[in-house]
Amino acid sequence: MEMFDDLKRMNKRQVYYQVLNFGMIIASALMIWKGMMVVTGSESPIVVVLSGSMEPAFYRGDLLFLANDRSDPIRAGEIVVFKIEGRDIPIVHRVIKVHETHEGKIKFLTKGDNNEVDDRGLYKPGQLWVEKQHVVGRARGFLPYVGMVTIIMNDYPKLKYAVLGLLGIFVLIHRE
Amino acid sequence: MEEFKPVKVEKWDQNAVRIAMDDAAKKAVLEKGYEENFFLVDSRLIICTTALLFALFALLWDFLHPFPASQTVLIICVGSYFLLMGVLTLHVNFREKNIFLVAHQKDPVGTEPDTVWSLSSTMLKYDKNYTLTITVTNNNQTRSASFTKCVGDVFDENGVLLYDKYEPMILELHDSIDSGKKKK
Repeated sequence: MEMFDDLKRMNKRQVYYQVLNFGMIIASALMIWKGMMVVTGSESPIVVVLSGSMEPAFYRGDLLFLANDRSDPIRAGEIVVFKIEGRDIPIVHRVIKVHETHEGKIKFLTKGDNNEVDDRGLYKPGQLWVEKQHVVGRARGFLPYVGMVTIIMNDYPKLKYAVLGLLGIFVLIHRE
Repeated sequence: MEEFKPVKVEKWDQNAVRIAMDDAAKKAVLEKGYEENFFLVDSRLIICTTALLFALFALLWDFLHPFPASQTVLIICVGSYFLLMGVLTLHVNFREKNIFLVAHQKDPVGTEPDTVWSLSSTMLKYDKNYTLTITVTNNNQTRSASFTKCVGDVFDENGVLLYDKYEPMILELHDSIDSGKKKK
């Protein structure tokens, strides 16, 4: 294949540069992500809504932009994204009850708009309330449908590897 | 490693065509026995490598000390990374400026400083003309010359670069500004 002729004609420096180029593309994406983490204060600044439990506010496949301002008090009615200990996947639900002490220590209860019952069934066994340290952020913006790509890639991991693999090969071989 | 296989490129891929012509000019000039100077290319590689090291450090630190503990380190590393990207852009656009070869012609007697030759090329997008510029610096005097060729003159219909046709053009350009120190 002529695609590989380009690669064969490169000298050591050019090969190293191709590898660097590849690395820089990945690094740029990661640095932008880390940068967003720092700017928003949230460890996961962009999340995809995975279930229909918040309809009609959010549908499965929507992309949410989060910000985590720890000095802003959490109030009933706000939509928060939180993680349950022992589970990787954050949950996007609404706060329905808040208990707060004078010092600002907070305990709150959540429920999906589209669910029949509150989230106590989802919490860790023995856990009745969500606390500040579980919070990943609050929804501050959203894009509809865009997250469907992530959902499809996660449901069919082979597709994800195939796409990434092809992109990687293309970048490494193509000069410039 | 000098294997002489005729270079064939996808003739409609402008980038490949330009790179093939750059490579041919480089070969023609280096065959005169000059030593290639990698300073420009190496500086670019060093900037990129440093940027990547910052990125790797940031990732590693964040992995070991999860956010938000890593906030300060992340700010420094991410900032440095993008700063270096800026430096890289400046370097490529203002210092490298399409130069693809810098070569030193060593004085055979060894008493005078080297004569420095450099080659650069430009090709406008969707234009079939390739412009090669050669510059020579000798004892603080600098001369340069350039020519513009239609790529059709140097490539055949299959995209094979006709080196035998192209080489004399390059050498002629070189000789036109050679200081005339007859060595042969």
